[in-house]
Amino acid sequence: MSFFGFDSSGPKKGRRSGRSKDEKGGQPLDFDETYQGFGEHAREEDDYLNSETFGDAADVGTDFDFGYGASEYAAPTASHDAYVDHSRSYASAATSGPAVAAVPFGQPAQAVEEHLDFTPMESLWTNQPVHQLQQPQFVSMEEIERQQQQQQQQRQMGMLPQQHAYMSMPPPQHIATMGYGFPGQPFVSGAPQMTGAPQFQDRNVDFGVQAVPPPPPQSVGPRPMSSSDMPPMQYQQMSPGFEQVGQQQSHVPVPAPVQANKISEPHHAPQQVFSSSTAPSALSPVVHQAQTQTSPVIEATMSPKRPSQQPLSPHGNYRRGTSPRVNQGPPYYQSMNEPFAKGTRRNSMRKPQEHLSEEDWKRLQVRQAKVDKILKHSGVMTPRDKDFITRYQLSQIVTDDPYNEDFYFQVYKIIQRGGVVGESNKGLIARAYLEHSGHRLGGRYKRADVALQRMQSQVEKAVTVAKERPQKNKEISEASKEGVLGKISASMNSKAPRRQLQIPTKMEESDETTSSAIDDVAQCLQGVDISTSSSKLRRRSSYALRSLDQSAVLTRSGGRKFVLSLIETVYSEVLELEAQLRSGKTIDSSGLWEALHIFDDAFEVSPFISILSFDKGVKIMPRIINFLGKEQKLKLLSCFFSELSHLNIVVTSSYRTNPNPTGAQLRKIELFQSIFLKIIVSFLSSSAEFMEVMGLLLALVKNNNVSFITTSKIGLNLITVLISRAALIKQDVNRGSILSSSEISSWNEIYDKLFTALETRLSLIFPPSEYTQKIVSITNPQPAPSVPGTPLAATFTKPSFYDSSYIWQFLASLALSGKLNHQRIIIDEVRDEIFGTISKAEEFTKSAAVEDQPMALYQRDKLYQDLNLFLNVMGLVARDGEISELK
Amino acid sequence: MSSDSPLDLLKLNLDEKVYVKLRGARELTGTLQAFDSHCNIVLSDAVETIYELVENELKSTKREAEMIFVRGDTVTLVTTPSDQ
Repeated sequence: MSFFGFDSSGPKKGRRSGRSKDEKGGQPLDFDETYQGFGEHAREEDDYLNSETFGDAADVGTDFDFGYGASEYAAPTASHDAYVDHSRSYASAATSGPAVAAVPFGQPAQAVEEHLDFTPMESLWTNQPVHQLQQPQFVSMEEIERQQQQQQQQRQMGMLPQQHAYMSMPPPQHIATMGYGFPGQPFVSGAPQMTGAPQFQDRNVDFGVQAVPPPPPQSVGPRPMSSSDMPPMQYQQMSPGFEQVGQQQSHVPVPAPVQANKISEPHHAPQQVFSSSTAPSALSPVVHQAQTQTSPVIEATMSPKRPSQQPLSPHGNYRRGTSPRVNQGPPYYQSMNEPFAKGTRRNSMRKPQEHLSEEDWKRLQVRQAKVDKILKHSGVMTPRDKDFITRYQLSQIVTDDPYNEDFYFQVYKIIQRGGVVGESNKGLIARAYLEHSGHRLGGRYKRADVALQRMQSQVEKAVTVAKERPQKNKEISEASKEGVLGKISASMNSKAPRRQLQIPTKMEESDETTSSAIDDVAQCLQGVDISTSSSKLRRRSSYALRSLDQSAVLTRSGGRKFVLSLIETVYSEVLELEAQLRSGKTIDSSGLWEALHIFDDAFEVSPFISILSFDKGVKIMPRIINFLGKEQKLKLLSCFFSELSHLNIVVTSSYRTNPNPTGAQLRKIELFQSIFLKIIVSFLSSSAEFMEVMGLLLALVKNNNVSFITTSKIGLNLITVLISRAALIKQDVNRGSILSSSEISSWNEIYDKLFTALETRLSLIFPPSEYTQKIVSITNPQPAPSVPGTPLAATFTKPSFYDSSYIWQFLASLALSGKLNHQRIIIDEVRDEIFGTISKAEEFTKSAAVEDQPMALYQRDKLYQDLNLFLNVMGLVARDGEISELK
Repeated sequence: MSSDSPLDLLKLNLDEKVYVKLRGARELTGTLQAFDSHCNIVLSDAVETIYELVENELKSTKREAEMIFVRGDTVTLVTTPSDQ
């Protein structure tokens, strides 16, 4: 599979060029052309004899078929040209001359040739239909014997004569045989690899068969070596040895059974040559025999093929089986055509084939072809491989963030949908890309809002868990069947085993009274007082319009200069601490804590809040947090949430107090989100206990005008973080340890408080359209009317789109924690917005111009996605303009 | 923190918007990135305004710079911009 319609199946061009070359004839294979010129390799200098070595017709093509080669069967009957056209397998490539010539053996073989200076024979290397014609021509037993004798004599004559013989005989034979032989080493063990049954059966020819190797033990000797240790990388192993081997063989016969596997075909050709017309001097066949025989196991190893073969045949058996058979000496052609079904043992099946009738022959051939087709790709991958790939695919399917993680698919989808040709297509790609990847002008997915993403995923997780809940209840209800099906242990037992010690929680009475629950929370916060006088004092002035004036807030927290100097102090403290950390000294962060002035009653508004109204104050926060203990962090956060209304960033991100945000302010909001919100989210999700989350939420609800805070994006984000975290812990707790009743009651209480503060004002969290439009126009400045010559600018007309997902997330987490009546109220209040969103989503696709369709679709999906996050909590789903039950 | 020397005041405004008045009827507004004892200043996202008197009419031209170095000997005044 490939994206963007790229045809990965292989270059046709390469093949074509190969063929044209074919017609020209006599030119060496050009590496660059066979590979379409990918990779600019220096031309290899030793290529010039390739045509001789491998024949002019050598054309491998570039589309290798890794399966069981089908071409092999077509080959004998087809014309040469047709053959070339065939998609080739490695197997066939190796078996037939040209292929061998093509890549892997090129160099060594040629070297051999140079050394011997033979005249190559093209017929050797091509896959010719000869075999069948030649079929009846077999060497009789007597002949073989005679040959053997001669050959033995020959051997006795010593090296020199042999070499003579060498020269006189048709050389390609040698090359073929020698080329692959490698005197007694991995090779021998490699031989068994031929056991690959099907392949072996149909085409490999047993050379050894023809002549009994003079020293019988040898024929048996090397063979029994098990094939299992055969390394798959035969090619590599062998090739370096070629030249050497060639020489060695020509002089010193190495007695070993010849097992020609893939070379079989090349081998036939010369045979034919001998027997039919050219110089069948008595000597040459003999020499030939000798040669084949003496060369060690001849084997063209087909590494890619092998795996497919292995499972099919029992190696050991096969091996041992063949070697005796060698002596029987069935002629070699036959095996080529031997059409055995897969998996059959070769030796058992090997009957004298020469007696086959024509029909039988054909029938078997057809059958073999069928079997072969079936087997084509079988076993190319081991079960392990498949398993690996399956696992990998599965891991790819599961993603938290499909839009970003399936990036290429998303872009591809958009491009596919677009289907527009030419330039505009480019524009689409660019736009799609930018939409997803984010850019300076503000793509949809800015990397900056990693914190937001985390929050999002937190909410989503909570929603998923909630969706699973009803099923769980069913499980529990099964307990009612107890007695019918025997004793059913409570399904929760495994998850919440009975405790050995039942420690009575002393806060039993807190069930009734509101304040005690809050005290409880306050206690859990270990001295972080929420309801103490000082915070109450501050709360009185909490939400006054004075807060909206930044300078007024600054004044109340000590003045701008004071806050700025605090920031400088904080910076120097942090630098000092970091230096201590580096030098390995013990760290004393009390100075830093002092500088933060958290809960400093001397000021009306905590200076810490004012520190956060400066960019540099926000930027230093992550480094401050590093040096604070958990308790300090908790104090810091509870201070932060208590005085949220004073926070400059909340004020500027609220549509009510700042209806005309500037670009700089939006950047500030973004900065705050990416830094401070992230700190809070990671603190809450990593180390905060349930009661601590409660405490923070309580601090927020008690000391602030919640309704005002929810009109600001940051404020809403913060509340969402808190309640979704609380809900998540609660759900987790359902699975694991049980929340104490006091915890649950305080959660219910705090939630009620929060909800009461929001009730009747829920629709106000949606900013008015003027505000959203302003935001959109700031973040996506309309490009100046561009000249048609600049297509890029033209395609950058960003969609006018206000991302309101944070609102739906808030509503989702609010509804998640609420009871049914809460949810009903929420839906009642935001009904207009729900339907507004749906109709807006539908409008997108209707009103969009054709070329904007993909974008509109995307926007629609996004809107639905956001909306559904909320609706799913209540078991609803919005789709195609309608709301239906979630299945 | 003590603000003993005048330049300490400048330090407080690091990473904040500042207004810098220069000799030759020029002024700069930008984010203060760095300064030294010579009042050499580095500003980012700076807007420079140059005032000229052409035939008895005051004309101003603006230039923007992402990052700008101001040599200290031209600086006559540093303060926070009027809109903050």
